[in-house]
Amino acid sequence: MSETIDPRQKILAANAAAAAALRSSFAAAGTLVLNLISSPGSGKTTLLEATTRRLVQRLRLGCIEGDIATERDADRLRALGIPAYQILTGGACHLDARQVHRALDEAVFPPLDVLFIENVGNLICPTSYDLGEDFKVALLSVAEGDDKPFKYPAIFARAEVTVITKSDLLPYTSFDLDAVRRQVTTLNPDGVLLATSSRTGEGVDAWCQLLADRLAGKRRQPA
Amino acid sequence: MHELSIAQEILSSARAALQPYPGARLERVRVAVGELTAIEPELLRFAWEALLEGTPEAACDLDVEWRPAQQLCATCGVPKARPPRGWLPVCGDCGGPLRVDGGQELDLLQVSFVVPDGENGHERDD
Ligand SMILES: Nc1nc2c(ncn2[C@@H]2O[C@H](COP(=O)(O)OP(=O)(O)OP(=O)(O)O)[C@@H](O)[C@H]2O)c(=O)[nH]1
Ligand SMILES: [Mg+2]
Ligand SMILES: [Zn+2]
Repeated sequence: MSETIDPRQKILAANAAAAAALRSSFAAAGTLVLNLISSPGSGKTTLLEATTRRLVQRLRLGCIEGDIATERDADRLRALGIPAYQILTGGACHLDARQVHRALDEAVFPPLDVLFIENVGNLICPTSYDLGEDFKVALLSVAEGDDKPFKYPAIFARAEVTVITKSDLLPYTSFDLDAVRRQVTTLNPDGVLLATSSRTGEGVDAWCQLLADRLAGKRRQPA
Repeated sequence: MHELSIAQEILSSARAALQPYPGARLERVRVAVGELTAIEPELLRFAWEALLEGTPEAACDLDVEWRPAQQLCATCGVPKARPPRGWLPVCGDCGGPLRVDGGQELDLLQVSFVVPDGENGHERDD
């Protein structure tokens, strides 16, 4: 006999539960958590290096790096004096909340003001996985082209902050920053867009200010 | 290819939903996938087949209901007709800004199954 039931539940319910547990422990610790998502090579780690150089004296920073292979990105941040833990996904194209939970158990970080989670380089797969972050940051480098928000709408619709990286390359490309701004606004009317260059430092202060403001905002909220 | 991880989550949720029915075999699973989830229905179906191949449930179908996002006029609140997977810059009627609604669904909707003869009934909590 054939029967049908209607469970009506989220497919990623298990991940959502793990993310909710992370979110409440981050709230209790007063740690601001960012989930950075972009294509490989868009400049995530380089922006984190530039951010660390500016903020390391003022804020307690830490980092979880997601990569398919190598400790390279975690090493780059450790070299600047902040704790970093490398998750090796061994082929998986995204991080999930359970991996972040295990990473935090193993890493035993000191108390942090800001935790950066650099996701595996990929503009698609990490989108659906909540990691307990305060917000997602989508990064798009100038060399990738100005049509990307409409081609990858899911991440740009969800990321509260979009960072255009490598703005020093604008003079050498036909990248139209206003076109990107329009696409991001269409997908995400409340989203914030910043243009940065980790090479020249353009926009990096504004980015650091955004982090400081968000951290202050989070600390004002009753946990 | 995160569709394989998603297919695994669907399968384990569907199996968990069948726990009150001992011996039940999955026959059909229906899910909703929103346009803004970064999941491609076609890839999800491939992943599903690959996952079940060679198992007793290999014949179990996965129905994917596609849920497009809507663009609503922020002023008049009316959904505007958009080209498939295309985006409107502003409201075609009043020129005002649009907001995006929906398209985030990633839900297990329905699980159909057979309980082989001889498995006498099922206990439910409710
Ligand atoms: N011109 C220029 N190059 C940059 C900038 N930021 C990063 N790069 C270069 O871009 C390349 C990739 O940078 P990464 O920071 O490693 O990129 P990523 O996003 O962390 O890469 P994955 O972790 O592999 O996904 C490196 O060669 C950087 O030197 C920038 O602002 N301007
Ligand atoms: Mg990196
Ligand atoms: Zn209108």
